[in-house]
Amino acid sequence: MAVQTRPISTSPVTTRAVRWTRENLFSSIPNSAVTVAALALLYLVLFGSDPVGQAGALATFDWPDLLGGGLIKFVFDGADWSVVHANRRLYFLFRFPTATPTAANPDETWRIWVILYMLSGLAGASAGLWTRIDLKVAVVFLLLMVPVSLFIGAGAVLLLTGGAVAMFAASYVAAHFAPGIKTYLAVAKNVAIGAWIVAFFVAWTLLNGVDSRLWGGLLLTLFLTVVGIIASFPLGVLLALGRASTFPVIKGFCTAYIELIRAVPLITILFMALVFVPLMLEPDRRIVGLPITGVDFDLVARATIAITLFSAAYIAENVRGGLQSVPRGQMEAAEALGLSTSRILAFIVLPQAIRAVIPSLVGQFISLFKDTSLVFIMGLTDLLEVAGIVTSQPGFFGRQAESLLFVALIYWIIAFSMSRASQRLERTLGVGDR
Amino acid sequence: MTAADGTRDIIICEGVKKWFGDFQALRGITTTVAEGEVVVIFGPSGSGKSTFIRTLNRLEEHDEGRIVIDGVELNNNLRNLEKVRSEVGMVFQQFNLFPHLTVRRNITLALTHVRHKRKSEADALAEQLLDRVGIPEQVDKYPAQLSGGQQQRVAIARALAMQPKIMLFDEPTSALDPEMIKEVLDVMTQLAHEGITMIVVTHEMGFAREVADRFLFFDYGLIVEEGTPEHFFENPQEERTKLFLSQIL
Repeated sequence: MAVQTRPISTSPVTTRAVRWTRENLFSSIPNSAVTVAALALLYLVLFGSDPVGQAGALATFDWPDLLGGGLIKFVFDGADWSVVHANRRLYFLFRFPTATPTAANPDETWRIWVILYMLSGLAGASAGLWTRIDLKVAVVFLLLMVPVSLFIGAGAVLLLTGGAVAMFAASYVAAHFAPGIKTYLAVAKNVAIGAWIVAFFVAWTLLNGVDSRLWGGLLLTLFLTVVGIIASFPLGVLLALGRASTFPVIKGFCTAYIELIRAVPLITILFMALVFVPLMLEPDRRIVGLPITGVDFDLVARATIAITLFSAAYIAENVRGGLQSVPRGQMEAAEALGLSTSRILAFIVLPQAIRAVIPSLVGQFISLFKDTSLVFIMGLTDLLEVAGIVTSQPGFFGRQAESLLFVALIYWIIAFSMSRASQRLERTLGVGDR
Repeated sequence: MTAADGTRDIIICEGVKKWFGDFQALRGITTTVAEGEVVVIFGPSGSGKSTFIRTLNRLEEHDEGRIVIDGVELNNNLRNLEKVRSEVGMVFQQFNLFPHLTVRRNITLALTHVRHKRKSEADALAEQLLDRVGIPEQVDKYPAQLSGGQQQRVAIARALAMQPKIMLFDEPTSALDPEMIKEVLDVMTQLAHEGITMIVVTHEMGFAREVADRFLFFDYGLIVEEGTPEHFFENPQEERTKLFLSQIL
């Protein structure tokens, strides 16, 4: 393992900053040109195209003209963020019952809170068992949480959200600093993995207490993402193994499936799930004598299955690349020890293959997350769809920019977190690299 | 099955042939190896020596002829194959340690999943074996953290963990830096003196002369000449053997 060492500089921060800038941004004439062009573009986006007017504003310190005419000015001066604040529940839960409960239509929001607390606790405990949280990251996260929570909620909601963060922290501390945890670490990790599986089914059950036609917003987006990832990953691995198989039938089927799916846009598959499934499965039709009316074939289920089948083909191709990267000698060494084929796959080949393709796998998961926004075509209301819907209310006409910026921020936070988690995972698993 | 001097033939090969496409790698190898014998195979590259040693645990399937290992014939019968593989240890030129597993897990994996030993028992055996190959302190490191010589010694320990009756060594020192060759050869010499049956493909003739009971000289997929080390060093018969020996010594 190569240990990275960086000489500790004792020179003042400013000197180091100047040196860094010179080395990284102005090392050559083309590099300098790119730097200047990029800065100009950044300025244009953030402050607009009137530097002269802005310079004048600087002279008189004329707020808000000082902000120019770009994104910054819009965010802090032009925008009316009340559209986001007033519709915060719609963004997160859409029609999930309900903001205004009645006797016939009781409040089911408690289900979401139970799931959130359960996942916070588990995530905290897992972080405590597997890694060490970087204090700097934690502080930045908490500082970010303060304005966000003030923005999304007040009173009980704010208190409950804070509680979930506290739950995460408490579980982390409990798992990481429990006396004697070192001795039981392996057992504790197994318990945590078991708890995640149980939690998945508990969350599933809790959510299914509410008709899926009422799911929407971030809740729906995350449901499609999480279930899509959990289901498509093993399916993709099986397809990759099938494609590498020596049995012509299995190899042929898997290859045909992968190539067929990869040649079709996701939106087509979603559309087929919307249009063709009812044609094939009419309410009174029986398949091989089995009534299928009892099967829950609601729209969310169809969308989840379509996304899963689509994503699995791409994951299969990623994993196939990983399989090819495992040297032949690894299989031979394992065979020479007398390990059976299934054990060689499980303990030797797959762990190395998947490790080699973590970046592209996470890239695929991030695409899946963003692609869930296509389910609007089936009439489902995901986060992006909510962004449009809220601005069609009379009070918020013309506030699309605010609404879309808010939704973009949520997408970015989640996708960026996934990307960072992948980098972290790569570093943690990289110990055994050649 | 029993030779004149009372030892048992643990490996029997009769007319073993192997093709890779149109290329015939083995042209009919017939030989026997007695229990406890140390056989060194050498010859020019492409002569089939590696292919031959790899047919002995069926990493390569032979196309014609018979191979019988400890009374079990190698064929498509998977149960036979499992039995043979768990009795035949192999050490590779490129070590082929599992890079994602610790040294300990490299050694115990087959113990727990083929021999069905308990973890504590397997761990104890791993530590004992690492002690035997002289690197007990490396037990919790990953292969990439070890030197080539240490990795190859772990590979030997991994093969020994299965308590094999036969050890196959396929050019075990060819990928090593010169200063690390001795540490691996020392371990192998020690093994040879312990009486385990060994087949070694190597060009380390000093080591070979010290430990081998018999030499096999391979060329063009055939055993060109065989005999004791003394025979080869003092009185080789075949022209090709003389030429090859003059080039490597």
